[in-house]
Amino acid sequence: MSTAPSNDTESMEVDPVFLNSKREAWIILGLWVAAILWSVPYCYMNGFQSGMNAETIETTLGIPSWVFWGIAFPWFVADIFTIWFCLFYMKEDDLGVAHEGEDLAEEIAEMQAKDATAGGNES
Amino acid sequence: MNLLINTKLPVIFAEGGSDAALVSFLIYTAAVFVLAAMSNRLLKSKSFLSEYFLGSRGLGVWAFALTFAATSSSGGSFTGFPSKIYTHGWILALWIGSYMVVPICTMGFIGKRLNQVARRSGSITVPDVIRDRFHSPLLGLMAVSLIVFFMSFNLVAQFKAGSLILQTLLEGVSVFESTADGLAQAVAGIPLLSTAESPEYLLCLLVFGIAVILYTTYGGFHAVVWTDVMQGIVMVLGVIIMLPLAISQAGGLENTTRLMAKMTPPRVSAPDKGGITLTLNKPREEILRIDTGTWITDEPIPGQKVPLLFRVTKSTIIPAGKTSINEVKVLQLTTLEDIQRILGRRESEKFLDDVSVSNIDLKAYAYGEEGSQQGAYVSGPGPSPSSSNGFLPFSLAISFFFMWAISGTGQPANMVRLMAFRDTKTLQRSICTVAIYYTLIYFPLVIIFCCARVLLPGMEGESDSIMPKMAVFLTENIGMGWLAGLLVAAPFAAVMSTVDSFLLLISSAWVRDVYQRNINPKASEKTMKLLSYLATFVVGTAAMLVAVNPPKFLQDIIVYVGSGLAASFLAPIVYGLYWRRVNAAGAMGAMIGGFSVHLAMYVTGYFVNGSFFRPYQLFNFDPIIIGLFVSFISGFVVTKLTAPPSDELVQKYFYINKANS
Repeated sequence: MSTAPSNDTESMEVDPVFLNSKREAWIILGLWVAAILWSVPYCYMNGFQSGMNAETIETTLGIPSWVFWGIAFPWFVADIFTIWFCLFYMKEDDLGVAHEGEDLAEEIAEMQAKDATAGGNES
Repeated sequence: MNLLINTKLPVIFAEGGSDAALVSFLIYTAAVFVLAAMSNRLLKSKSFLSEYFLGSRGLGVWAFALTFAATSSSGGSFTGFPSKIYTHGWILALWIGSYMVVPICTMGFIGKRLNQVARRSGSITVPDVIRDRFHSPLLGLMAVSLIVFFMSFNLVAQFKAGSLILQTLLEGVSVFESTADGLAQAVAGIPLLSTAESPEYLLCLLVFGIAVILYTTYGGFHAVVWTDVMQGIVMVLGVIIMLPLAISQAGGLENTTRLMAKMTPPRVSAPDKGGITLTLNKPREEILRIDTGTWITDEPIPGQKVPLLFRVTKSTIIPAGKTSINEVKVLQLTTLEDIQRILGRRESEKFLDDVSVSNIDLKAYAYGEEGSQQGAYVSGPGPSPSSSNGFLPFSLAISFFFMWAISGTGQPANMVRLMAFRDTKTLQRSICTVAIYYTLIYFPLVIIFCCARVLLPGMEGESDSIMPKMAVFLTENIGMGWLAGLLVAAPFAAVMSTVDSFLLLISSAWVRDVYQRNINPKASEKTMKLLSYLATFVVGTAAMLVAVNPPKFLQDIIVYVGSGLAASFLAPIVYGLYWRRVNAAGAMGAMIGGFSVHLAMYVTGYFVNGSFFRPYQLFNFDPIIIGLFVSFISGFVVTKLTAPPSDELVQKYFYINKANS
């Protein structure tokens, strides 16, 4: 992770879009981990019961309680977090202009350079 | 033209939900072509390839959010998913649960950085990004090969899925059936077409396929995006309308859940042998045709109180003069409340009268019927006809959390969209939009089709068509059968928006990644334009022709391709975006490692479980988890064992000039 360009370091700095994106990616990964750690064990412990009594099943707003607290509620929380994260936390970075055709131009230049070298060697 | 359609609509819709499906399909297709024509005008003013394959990186919030959401929601969201909810009950909430974080994971995890890297290199396609970021034509070629390999299978499977959905929706429409018969006669001598599964399937494939190929070829990326927006709106409207109708007609959600708690799975005929013997009280002079969906009832078995109630799952006939027939394929309802509800509306259901039933030879579900498994429809792991572990055991629940959120991030069709949004603000607002959009679609679908268990019992044999059946049932009950047209348009919309994106992804791979970048980088704009149109048209037509006699295991192919792509692409892209030290060898190691381990588990499944599509599950986990794990590990190890990338490359993608900041 410590790879840094050795030349011209003084005139350059690490791209803030890269740093911001990386920090945001870690948080998103954390959210996914939190979601799986909440939903799957909660549903397993409360919803995977054998021999459930049909008359006494617990419901919340008409939904089986294990679905409500294991999925519906965290879903709501995840939505709130997503909206907060995107609108108030995520940095509004400038993504730059598109260098349309630059990759192709580079490739053509490389090909021409190779051809020139090969031509030079032959002569 | 619109006025003409509008004035005729109520008359046609009044004839029933099936006709509504035909009319909605026709209106829908006309709208798609209008959008394609508008998109084509944009192609004249901008850089052709960037516009045709990437919409000139200018997508705004609604376009970006809805194209992303619609592409991710394939036809399965409105056919396979409702079918699963109906068959297995509330456990599907856990199955789909990771959608709570899917928008932020699939769009936010790599979106901003991928878009920036693609701009910086001028990349138009995913293989372009990989090739440029690692400065490796070989890696680019590997990426193209994998995309073409996986997506070609997927395109054929999606064509088949689209045709089957259309066929299901148009079943019973007289114009459709007579046209299909006419088509069967017309293609009788044509080798490839005459071998199609059925004339109805062929007609649907041709209509659906030609429509998608033409509008995608003509309009390019913007046509795909704009039609996706329309399709996305249709999908969410369909769900929002169905939700209150389903809950109110089922007597409320509390009532639905309590009734589901008492439900026990039906008993079903094995496909090869077994069923019931039907005996007519008196012989008939004409052939008696017994259609799929017909109800048959008989007195309770001595010693039991519950009346016998069966639903025919495969149509059959009783020849003239005969009185009985053996091995009629049926399913038997086993829940008293369901039986009483159907018998209570005997007038409006199709019953076969004056028959008696004997020799009942039906199979119980492998999980869900025993006393210790009571309440299977409202608890985990959910009833299963074939697995004694139930539908969703603990390890599979974990796998599906990976499957949707992580695997979705690794799909090239999603990545292309992430390269096309206009700016960061668009991304931020779009993630919020998609999060709300998915919340409005997926959890309500679980509720709607749990209600379907109460409203339409005994549909397990035809559960793939539960969506249109439910749409027609709900709207006819409130005297608004015409509304079914809008509701059944949702599955068309879902599958069309997936097929068009895949089609463009493959044609861009051929035109940009194979031809322009490897064969003729100096090709003129005019040549590239012609080739783009040609490749999209040829790829689409070829896939459609293969789909005339498609491979079986449709859903299995889609799952294999989705997880295979994620196992191959996620690690190289994530490393490429976020790790300065990674080099071309490491990315190659990640790609090859993920692809081959994932494939190896399917091949092992062939030897161990007897089928390629029943993969070997190491520690009970799906191959996607093992594939991703190996891909990330191998990418890391190979990178560490090989030389770091050039300073120039690292500078280009990870540094900026101080003056610029």
